[in-house]
Amino acid sequence: MATVRIRAAEAGRELEAPAGLDRLRRALSRAGRSLLPFALLVAVWWAVEVAFRLSPTVLPSPWQTVSATWPLIQRGILPDYVTSSLTRMAIAGLFGVAAGVPMGLLLGSNRYVSVAFAPFLNFFQALSGIAWLPLMLVWFGFGEKTIQAVILYTVFFPVAFNTMIGVRTVPLHYAHALRVLGAGRLRLIRDVWVPGALPSILLGLRLGIAYGWRALIAGEMVVGAGGIGFLLFQARSFHQTDRIMDGMILIGLLWLLIDLGFLRPVERATIERWGMLQR
Amino acid sequence: MTRARLQEIGLGVLPFAGLLAAWWAITGLTHVSMATLPSPAAVWSAASGLWSTGDLQTDILTSMGRIALGAGVSIVLGIGLGLAAGLNRPLGDLLLPLASFFNSVSGIAWIPLAITWFGLGTVAVTFIIVNAVFFLIFFNTVLGVRSVPRIMEQAVRTLGGGYRELILHVFLPGALPHIMSGIRSGLGFGWRALIAAELIAATSGLGFLIYDASNFLRSDRILTGILIIGAIWMIIDNLVLKPLERRTVERWGTVRTL
Repeated sequence: MATVRIRAAEAGRELEAPAGLDRLRRALSRAGRSLLPFALLVAVWWAVEVAFRLSPTVLPSPWQTVSATWPLIQRGILPDYVTSSLTRMAIAGLFGVAAGVPMGLLLGSNRYVSVAFAPFLNFFQALSGIAWLPLMLVWFGFGEKTIQAVILYTVFFPVAFNTMIGVRTVPLHYAHALRVLGAGRLRLIRDVWVPGALPSILLGLRLGIAYGWRALIAGEMVVGAGGIGFLLFQARSFHQTDRIMDGMILIGLLWLLIDLGFLRPVERATIERWGMLQR
Repeated sequence: MTRARLQEIGLGVLPFAGLLAAWWAITGLTHVSMATLPSPAAVWSAASGLWSTGDLQTDILTSMGRIALGAGVSIVLGIGLGLAAGLNRPLGDLLLPLASFFNSVSGIAWIPLAITWFGLGTVAVTFIIVNAVFFLIFFNTVLGVRSVPRIMEQAVRTLGGGYRELILHVFLPGALPHIMSGIRSGLGFGWRALIAAELIAATSGLGFLIYDASNFLRSDRILTGILIIGAIWMIIDNLVLKPLERRTVERWGTVRTL
């Protein structure tokens, strides 16, 4: 009786096993295929380091670079800096969006106002936040405020500009249709402008976060109040090239985290939504 | 010029005029210090002072030379390697993940290493710009080449075309819209990387001008530099990159209707 039941269970598993196994194999091979280039890169790096006998200040070996992370993690420097960089990005990003979207909606809701403000917002979007860094240093000194102000600026303008442009691209019929049915301005914003402008808002968000992340790194290098950029810059002053490499790899990984963990999911959700609107 | 276009320009000037008026009023009515917010007149005299000594021209030319050099190297390498990786699928599969990782690292993160390797100056700055621009162009070129319908390639092959014809008449024109958008967004990041690199890793150029000015609390000079940096980018983007992008997209349109 018991054996029969086990047999049945096994049979069941066998039935579904190929699909599961296949999926696993496919996932593994996909992972392998995207990890292989990095393995080759590390191999080349190692070969260059060995072949040219480079000093560790010029090019540390991959192993040196990896082992340089341990003291950083043990002393809590790395977690501390990563948290402060990500927190800065999150706060400034949040405020940038919270201010940029309403501003874009406000300016976009009137044709003349949006025509008037298009070159203005475009100018300040094009004018990189990094260029404001020296002035912010004069205004706020070498501290948290300077970094926050620069990222906030960098996030706000692309979001505001693209929200405004997005609102203008929503076909007027939709707004007219709702107006005829007696909808107020709030209803219009909620049901027409925000959903209609969403693809454009997200384009602005992506641009703002991407520029903001770079401004953050540059700001931390210049200001020196902690953060990954500061880690890199401090390591350079002490000729700790292995730490510089660690910081760079970390910056790349964290951006991938922001991109794959936050921007892409949001985009996917809204691109689908956009598709629904098109249909 | 049509009436509508004139009206657009007229309206577009208004917010700038409003900002200028507000700036003037703040500096005129309140006793805000020169270091905090210099008046428009002070910024103008700082700008003309820098211009008359020739410093401003030198810094502008230095920065533009660096972005041109960095962009030139990135465009040649990006399109060349991108075509190679686009035509060879295994090579492309190998290089794309690396390109997307290095794109995430971003040019700015290379600043400390560039200083260690090349010292302060044009080589370091150009290296940083190339790191900000190259990977995007490369990435887009590969995607562009891959997006060319195979039937076009096969048509040219059937008619006896070799690799030269394929690249010149099929893959390069077919990938051009992708390449152009890669160049445009790449240069957007490159220009910002240039400013950051000059703040930290150079002793000349517009980025250095504003950073040096901040050490002496010369906000009039900082604002001069900021406005020039914004204006130059607007000129590059609106008069060079956008028209080029539009033209290639139009070209793509005609290619597609064939």
